Amino acid sequence: MSTLEHLDDQIIGRYLDQPLRLPADLRRQIEAAWEGAPVQLYALADLDQALRLVESWVALGPRHVAVARRTAAGTWDVASVERARIEAVREAPGLSANTLTLLGAPGEPALVLVRYTHRQRRAFENIRFVVEEQLEGREIAPVDPDRAYADGVARPVREAQAVVSGREVAVIRRLLGYLKPYRRPLALGMTAAALITVVSLVPPYLAGYLIDRVVRPAREGTLPLGRAGTIAWLAVAAMALVYVIRQGAAVVRLRLMAILGEWVARDLRAELYEHIQRLSLAFFSRKRTGSLITRVSADTDRLWDFLAFGVVDVSLSLVMLAGLGAVLLSLDWRLGLAMTLPVPVFCWLIYRHGESINRLFIRAWRKWSRVSDVLSDTIPGIRVVKAFNQEEREIRRFGERNEDVTAEFNRIHETWTTFWPLLMLAVHGTTVVVWALALPRLLGGGTALPVGTFVSFLLYTTMFIGPIEVIGQIARTMNRATTSAHRVFEVLDTEPEVRDDPEPVQLRPVHGRVTFEHVTFGYDGVRQVLRGVSFDVTPGELIGLVGPSGGGKTTIVNLIARFYDVTGGAIRIDGVDVRRLDTGQYRRQLGMVLQDPYLFHGTILENIRYGLPEASLGEAIAAAQAANAHDFVTKLQHGYDTVVGERGHTLSGGERQRVSIARAILHDPRILILDEATSSVDTETEREIQEALERLIKGRTVFAIAHRLSTLRKASRLFVIEDGRLVEHGTHHELLQKPDGKYRRLYELQLQLQ
Amino acid sequence: METTLLGRQGAVLSLEQRDDGRLWAIRGDEERAVWVRRCFPWSEPGRYLSLRDGDENEFALVRDPAELDASSRDALEAALALAGFVFEITRVLEIEEEVEIRRWRVETRQGARSFQTRLDDWPRALPHGGLLIRDVTGDLYHLGRPAALDRHSRALLWAFVD
Repeated sequence: MSTLEHLDDQIIGRYLDQPLRLPADLRRQIEAAWEGAPVQLYALADLDQALRLVESWVALGPRHVAVARRTAAGTWDVASVERARIEAVREAPGLSANTLTLLGAPGEPALVLVRYTHRQRRAFENIRFVVEEQLEGREIAPVDPDRAYADGVARPVREAQAVVSGREVAVIRRLLGYLKPYRRPLALGMTAAALITVVSLVPPYLAGYLIDRVVRPAREGTLPLGRAGTIAWLAVAAMALVYVIRQGAAVVRLRLMAILGEWVARDLRAELYEHIQRLSLAFFSRKRTGSLITRVSADTDRLWDFLAFGVVDVSLSLVMLAGLGAVLLSLDWRLGLAMTLPVPVFCWLIYRHGESINRLFIRAWRKWSRVSDVLSDTIPGIRVVKAFNQEEREIRRFGERNEDVTAEFNRIHETWTTFWPLLMLAVHGTTVVVWALALPRLLGGGTALPVGTFVSFLLYTTMFIGPIEVIGQIARTMNRATTSAHRVFEVLDTEPEVRDDPEPVQLRPVHGRVTFEHVTFGYDGVRQVLRGVSFDVTPGELIGLVGPSGGGKTTIVNLIARFYDVTGGAIRIDGVDVRRLDTGQYRRQLGMVLQDPYLFHGTILENIRYGLPEASLGEAIAAAQAANAHDFVTKLQHGYDTVVGERGHTLSGGERQRVSIARAILHDPRILILDEATSSVDTETEREIQEALERLIKGRTVFAIAHRLSTLRKASRLFVIEDGRLVEHGTHHELLQKPDGKYRRLYELQLQLQ
Repeated sequence: METTLLGRQGAVLSLEQRDDGRLWAIRGDEERAVWVRRCFPWSEPGRYLSLRDGDENEFALVRDPAELDASSRDALEAALALAGFVFEITRVLEIEEEVEIRRWRVETRQGARSFQTRLDDWPRALPHGGLLIRDVTGDLYHLGRPAALDRHSRALLWAFVD
């Protein structure tokens, strides 16, 4: 079972309250009814006709569809329908209830009518898709039904969440594993921290010792003054030494752990970024860019905080509390008990306070998001606000929400400013109790209590507060760290879907022959975006890909670039299956000019040389000249050194396109992909870009996608892609000769529009 | 602009639920299987109902079901119950925050249910009061009167209700 399948099962088991699979007994019953034919797909219909939650199943076989409903006796009532009787499929979506109807002959009652929530919709879409394909006379290659069901049901949760929360301990252990390379500084840092803890216990002891063994005997005359003075000064010197050691150790601890934390954060960031670069495009389409950026920046930073300080603070606070408890009990067990017994209560109170303030924070964040909504609405849409003269209304809307969120944050402040003084009062209360218990004994009643011991005791009690605070926050600290760790590990655990062959083939050079052999492809589930596409393109051909949007043109070029792997058939480059190629080396021979060219933050020169950083300045200028970019670049104040991209100089769409063409020219690819390269520019700019492109495409195999068919007249051949199929191919003139040709229809339609 | 149920041709619209399980709209000589979409599912759920055919084209816009004949109205109401179905939360048992999602365990009129929302996807306050929660799959959960829920539910919901 793959990681993904395992994850899907975990998600269904943990979150979705529904079976992981079609029940085995039901499967057997259905397959027996179908005379052994297998269940090919299935879905859970979780609503009955009265819209109550139930467990019913719809199963699809090669010749049948079955609907199974659980009877009151717990058995299955299975009704099968022959697929040959199905004439139409309808899905009626509702707010939360969807209805799938399989219809037979007109006027006949529905063959199958089931209802289900959105949670089951993907699984039903698979069934619907296969049945619709059958109605169109097409067959779909069988898939693993369990996998299709689990993927359909679990996917929304999988995409919303980093990973299914594993045990926190396991995550923390994995995180601590990153400290392994730094055992030495870690040991030093921990030793320094332990030293701080131990030496912190010394000054109160010395204070008590001085009072009981030096000051009092000297006053009572049992210790000579000279000897008493010597001991006292030695004790003061020891105290000074303790403080120096303590602060020296603090420097070592803080510096080492802070630096060590940075090293680990750096390692995590580097590993994460390197891994992100290797991941397939499918991963990026599932995750939001902002979320990935946060993982590399904020989450690793939070982990730094945890590793540098959280780990040490928590462990040493535990040691400190245990040490203090032991010392207090050994000094005087009665007073020690009075002081230590309330400690667990204080920790619990801090924990409870954390929980309750968390609720306040949720409320405040919710209201904060309402403030952000106004900002993200009105700042990008300020022209609309002004055009409709709504400034006052927007100011009022913002003002109300601003007031609202301020009230919530003030409520938080009220809570913590009440809690902490009260907690301190309780801590001081225990000190008062200790005084109340100690005073009669100090005055001579009950068991004797030396004054010095009592002073030591009081000094130790002041040291309780810090560790109690840390222990009380332990759950929150761990929670924050594990959340960030989950998010980071999710990316690290994601395997690239496109992987190189262990012994990859290097084509030197790539000639540019591209062959599609019965290629089928689907981005998810069983829905196929390409269905059996075959063609053979010889080196140097310019292929125009045309057809309606969503037909599969961009998918074809994505597959040529090996951003994804085919689900059926094969793509060959110069006769070699693209999956056997060394992807890095192959992509160096491949260029792309996209509709919305992306320029990185950096100079124009850096952008032109992006694919070939070692290119000379002369080569960069030559590429820019060929791309019709040189003229406008030299007119800029900083010429080729102009900084572009985010936060840089703003170039127009046409200018950015020409820089990207120069980048492709310099890259000198054998196979070139032009994806709507001229669609978003004006006619004059288009002419200039077209001119640049004509220089660029010479001697290369080119796949050009364009909606404006006039731009593809010079294509060697045109491929009309519709509904995932290659429906027509030929030259512009050949295709125009076809009386009922799809290309001809598209072309005439565009002529009319012009 | 006034909208009437008479539709484009001005013929009277009638509706019926047929054996094929679908709602059929008949207007003059024209009849089509349709499904209902509320134009204002939360601010005006009972009026302005768009009847759409299998290709998502609007066949008719019903301003007010009261303008239909009784049997059409019954058929429309049955279809509306289906189209407007959302889970009605009667009790909140647990709300837990996990990595990037919030996990809800609730009792609904339709049965017990667990669902998940994104952490930044907050319940939406409805125009006539109440809350609407959308889970990661798109299913909707309606809380008509949060104040009328039991104490435990109210305490759990406190952070999400104004």
